[in-house]
Amino acid sequence: MSLKKKSRRVLFNLFAWSVIGLIAFPLIWMLVTSIKPQSELFLIPPTLLPSEITFEHYWRLIDETPFLTYMKNSIILALSTTAVVIVIATLGAHSLLRFSYPGRERLAQLVLFTYLLPSVVLIIPLYFLMIWIGLANSLISLVIAYTTFSLPYALWLLRSFMAAIPDDLESAALVDGATRMEAFIDVILPQALPGIISTALFTMILAWNEYLYALVLVNTDESRPLTTGVMSILITSFNIEWSLLMAASVMMSVPLIVAFVFLQKYLTRGFGAGAVKG
Amino acid sequence: MSADTTAKLPWFRRSYRNFSLEEKYAVLGMILIAPTVMTFCAVIAYPLIAAIYLSFFSIYTPTMEGHWVGFSNYATLLQSGEFWRSLWNNIIWTVGTLTLQILFGILVAMMLHQNMVFRSLARSLVLFPYFLSTVVAVLVWKWLFNDLYGVLNHLFMWAGVIDMPVDWLGKMPNAMLSLIFVGAWKYFPFVVIAVLARLQSIPEELYEAAKIDGAGVFARFFDVTLPQLKDVLVVIILLRTIWDFKEFDLINLMTGGGPIIATQTLSLMVYKEAFALNQMGASSAVAVLMMLVMLVFMALYLRKAKGPSE
Repeated sequence: MSLKKKSRRVLFNLFAWSVIGLIAFPLIWMLVTSIKPQSELFLIPPTLLPSEITFEHYWRLIDETPFLTYMKNSIILALSTTAVVIVIATLGAHSLLRFSYPGRERLAQLVLFTYLLPSVVLIIPLYFLMIWIGLANSLISLVIAYTTFSLPYALWLLRSFMAAIPDDLESAALVDGATRMEAFIDVILPQALPGIISTALFTMILAWNEYLYALVLVNTDESRPLTTGVMSILITSFNIEWSLLMAASVMMSVPLIVAFVFLQKYLTRGFGAGAVKG
Repeated sequence: MSADTTAKLPWFRRSYRNFSLEEKYAVLGMILIAPTVMTFCAVIAYPLIAAIYLSFFSIYTPTMEGHWVGFSNYATLLQSGEFWRSLWNNIIWTVGTLTLQILFGILVAMMLHQNMVFRSLARSLVLFPYFLSTVVAVLVWKWLFNDLYGVLNHLFMWAGVIDMPVDWLGKMPNAMLSLIFVGAWKYFPFVVIAVLARLQSIPEELYEAAKIDGAGVFARFFDVTLPQLKDVLVVIILLRTIWDFKEFDLINLMTGGGPIIATQTLSLMVYKEAFALNQMGASSAVAVLMMLVMLVFMALYLRKAKGPSE
């Protein structure tokens, strides 16, 4: 029995890994292109493995384009959006889970509804608003705009993480004489910390990848984040330099890979913000 | 007792000191949710209402000046071929890419459910496209699709599938097909992860019983796996329909709606009307109509999502 079974397993593994190879191929190609010498780029047929590895495109990206400015903006944006959203959402999720007051259920539904709302509907009034209060072309305008999608997301995700904390923990603290805020800070928050951290990472990824608001609300190189910044490198260059763009793509993806590794355990939850399970 | 008589008054006639513990908790709960509610009002509720209001005006974007035109934006839109074309494109894109995502997603999920070497690495590699910035995904695919030096054309010519380099993005129906395909590549991991989680919770006994009854691989899939996946698939399809329907980044970056308007969806039309044609009012009207279409799916999803948790 074992020989037939073994060969079937080997065949299955071969098949499975070729499918995965195909799925991952675009990403491998991105990496390969970014470390190929310029001269090798246009060889026919293309070479899968570069004859020599070069980092010239990365250096040129940093030297000759505003890439670092974009990156700085993206980092500031991702961090500040996340900080604002996490504080608001942690308080909100705690309230939605462990307090009862009129309108609470409706509010929870509303959060889910806003999570599905298309950005293009909100963008025109937000554009007006930003010009009106004089924040157009600033990073602050983007932080405000990013809360429109990241707050519902974080709230929903945190709610699902914090729902797993048993009610008894808080009750025990209350019996010991703690006030509800003390119980929240001393008992609930430490328990919720892994959930808060992973929600923060997911929110950062959302902010890091956002494109539409950045396209509409910011029009200067000083406050452009990476997404629209890299596209402007593409548009403003005379002939498209693919190795430069692939180097930029790799650099943009590195923080995502790091976050991804940390989030392994929570991927199922974070993907749909638990929305699939309801 | 004065405490008793005050307790019978409605809450707003009493001072906070006379509140019962339960009422005090309710107040604290409302204070904790207040920042959320205020942010929602400022950045979501207000723009949403403003969008509907603006759709009754004719506004020139650069000066932001305009005047009331009533329903004329809507009337013009409903009579224009461009609106219906964009809606149609939107439907083709959504149905096309969603179908591929579901089929491919289920297949890969079942594959990852089996025992294989380096399974967690395989899982990570499969899921990563979903995490990738759309900008990066589009840049990589544009490079793969490149008509002169792109790998795809080389590969297909070498394999003898085509004799001439193909223009993947500049011609129809290629442009729509390429979009649908790249959309499927980017978003199918969502299906994979949701289905995979469900697969892991199907009791093994069901398969054993089916095996004893003599069911083959396909019979087991259609009689055991698929019925078990049904509920999760309904929710996935609703969610992905909503998300694919409103997709802007991928389409705008890949084709910009071109050639001409052959791949222009409603999101792109909203953007174009507002910032290329400078018609904010008309643009808002498109956005409102688009939301009306989506509302159907949102309502269905909200009902589904509410059901099982209670």
